[in-house]
Amino acid sequence: MSAIKPMPPITIEKPKAKVWNGARAIAEAVKIADVDVIAAYPIRPYTGIMNALASMIANGEFTADIIVADSEHSQFEIVKHASAVGARVFAGSSGVGLAFAAEAIIVTALSQLPVVAAIGTRALDDPGNFGMEWSDALMFRDFGWLISWAKTVQEASDMTLVAYRVAEDRRVLLPHFIALDGAAITHVATPVVPVTKEQATNFLPPYRPPYKLDPAEGPITKAQHIAPSLIGPEQRKAVDVATKRAKQVIVEAWKDFAKYTGREYPPFIETTGMEDAEFALVSMGAYMKDIELVADRLRKKGMKIGTVRLRYVRPFPAEELLKVLDGVKAAGVIEFGYSFGSPFGTGSLYHEVATTLYEAGSKPELLDFLFLGGREPTVEHFTQVAEKVMESAHKKPQKKAYWLTLRGEDI
Amino acid sequence: MSSQVAFRSVKEIPGVDYYTAGRRTCAGCGPALGYRLISKAAGPNTIFIGPTGCMYVANAHQFLTSPYSVPWHHTQLGGGGAAAIGVASALRTLMLKGKRKLEDINVVVMGGDGAMADIGFSGLSMGLSYDYQRLLYVVYDNEAYMNTGVQASSTTPWGATTTFTPAGKVKPIGNTRLKKNMALVAAAHPKVKYVATATLWPPLDLMNKVQRALNSGGPSLIHVLLPCPKGWFSSPADTVNLSRLAIETGMWALWEQIEGHFKLNYRPKPRKHVREYLTLQGRFSHLKEEDMDKLDKMIEEEWVFWEESAKVGRLVVPY
Repeated sequence: MSAIKPMPPITIEKPKAKVWNGARAIAEAVKIADVDVIAAYPIRPYTGIMNALASMIANGEFTADIIVADSEHSQFEIVKHASAVGARVFAGSSGVGLAFAAEAIIVTALSQLPVVAAIGTRALDDPGNFGMEWSDALMFRDFGWLISWAKTVQEASDMTLVAYRVAEDRRVLLPHFIALDGAAITHVATPVVPVTKEQATNFLPPYRPPYKLDPAEGPITKAQHIAPSLIGPEQRKAVDVATKRAKQVIVEAWKDFAKYTGREYPPFIETTGMEDAEFALVSMGAYMKDIELVADRLRKKGMKIGTVRLRYVRPFPAEELLKVLDGVKAAGVIEFGYSFGSPFGTGSLYHEVATTLYEAGSKPELLDFLFLGGREPTVEHFTQVAEKVMESAHKKPQKKAYWLTLRGEDI
Repeated sequence: MSSQVAFRSVKEIPGVDYYTAGRRTCAGCGPALGYRLISKAAGPNTIFIGPTGCMYVANAHQFLTSPYSVPWHHTQLGGGGAAAIGVASALRTLMLKGKRKLEDINVVVMGGDGAMADIGFSGLSMGLSYDYQRLLYVVYDNEAYMNTGVQASSTTPWGATTTFTPAGKVKPIGNTRLKKNMALVAAAHPKVKYVATATLWPPLDLMNKVQRALNSGGPSLIHVLLPCPKGWFSSPADTVNLSRLAIETGMWALWEQIEGHFKLNYRPKPRKHVREYLTLQGRFSHLKEEDMDKLDKMIEEEWVFWEESAKVGRLVVPY
């Protein structure tokens, strides 16, 4: 009888983390996604992504055509049309650069071309303001682009890969923005576990558009001039249906992403301490880490407070948000975007949350906390926010919206 | 690259059209005739990019039909230059990476004067600075924004009335700017392979120039003057006649620049007075005799430079 050989112990190789800033981490994800055409135009703080990609291509790390465009408008026209031919593409911008490209950005969604682009969020001019604000990214909330918002450098990198998968899905075929809080994500270096080539190949199938702009595929006429009487509203409806279908595809994609990489993310909403929370802080992006820290400290003092982080603005996870805010006494929206002259002087994210809560059985007291003009918030500010939210449950607040980091007294 | 001739006679023009029925252009539309000749010359392995302009609005639409039997994609008014780079880049990269069969594919932008000389000027210039092959920018120049109701563009000639530059009591001339010469602008790009001007007459000249441009080995531009009965207030029957008169009066000089070498394609001898060209068009009807003489004088002065350029074989800028 031969001796049974002992099985070698199963070892899962722990992937080595790299220390990358957000710009580099996104660039690495674009590389691993085997992107074909990239269009670059500089504007802070997103530029680092293109710098990183350009040097990767120059060093032969992967093959892609990086086009140095003459403007953001050209940048987005380049990737739009390259996508129509069947290439996987990447672009990005920040602040007023995005505003300059707005025309090209809008038609990309209405042509249902799965362009993926990064936004290093930045305040809009004038005056030239390099601070972080959400107003640039939120400008595009109404045009059919999917918009996700990263909390960490790791997530930003992973979101890029998932963005391609969701955007290029035949049920969706919509362009996708990955919003990175300017400087807080783009310029901050943290350890990142990269997605391997093998994981990416399993997770992300090649882009196969249903209709290619290619003589080999026969003649197609795209985006021709159309009378509204012919297909005006139907075309809009098609884009809307695609954004709604994206919700299911996003859930599937993150599930698959966890399967291949071992990194799990809740698809739409990330919460801490919301199980029995009476108070909630709702926000998104990189400052969520500070907000979670504040909530955690208060929880240790016995306050029933939790945090809610939105990972997607479009499609907006309304049902999921309603569920987590169910039974909460008061909630505060913390945000870096504003709409001048808006109802009660509240911000862009507040409008989305308030609209959602209109459908709630019992509505919590909802307050808005604005960090505008790019001045950096601190943990103390978020503590002030939390205290105001908790106070509002028993003392009717005098107003809906509060400005913080402002010189003078608003809160 | 040579000054090869692809079509020696009218008989050699292929019978097949890639720009066919299903359009609603005006009677006697110069750009439609131009589109037809250019698409015939380019052949079936072509992708057309159409920035917004009259050839966007006037084509397709009716009952969701399309006149293009090759791939065609709209781009924004200012996006022609960039869109073509996107298409050319995608094709080249996909072929390079083995994701698509290797093949020669033409990318032709049919951009109006507004799209190319005004709003899309910067993108066009970027496009001409890259090395993508078989990439042709056609400036189809009907000398105004026609689909929005005849407004002046950077290529509207001196003296023409448009709805933005009407001739009135205080401003009797109409448009007082001089026409921007897009072929000269294109020629100013370093190492640009092929630049030419053309019009509907002679048709083989236009078609052969398209062939030469596409085979030139780099990005190219052809500035094509295309009469527009609607905006020129001319008879639809006069479209080709006006193209011919533009050449014979010297109003439009036919030339090409092949890898830096200038060649004058036609010398009007004797040159007709510009009056013959102007009086057929309502947009110049307010011009007095002395205005027409002034314009004729301007043409004469400009032609000294074309002749000089032809003599030395290099462009001598006339302005």
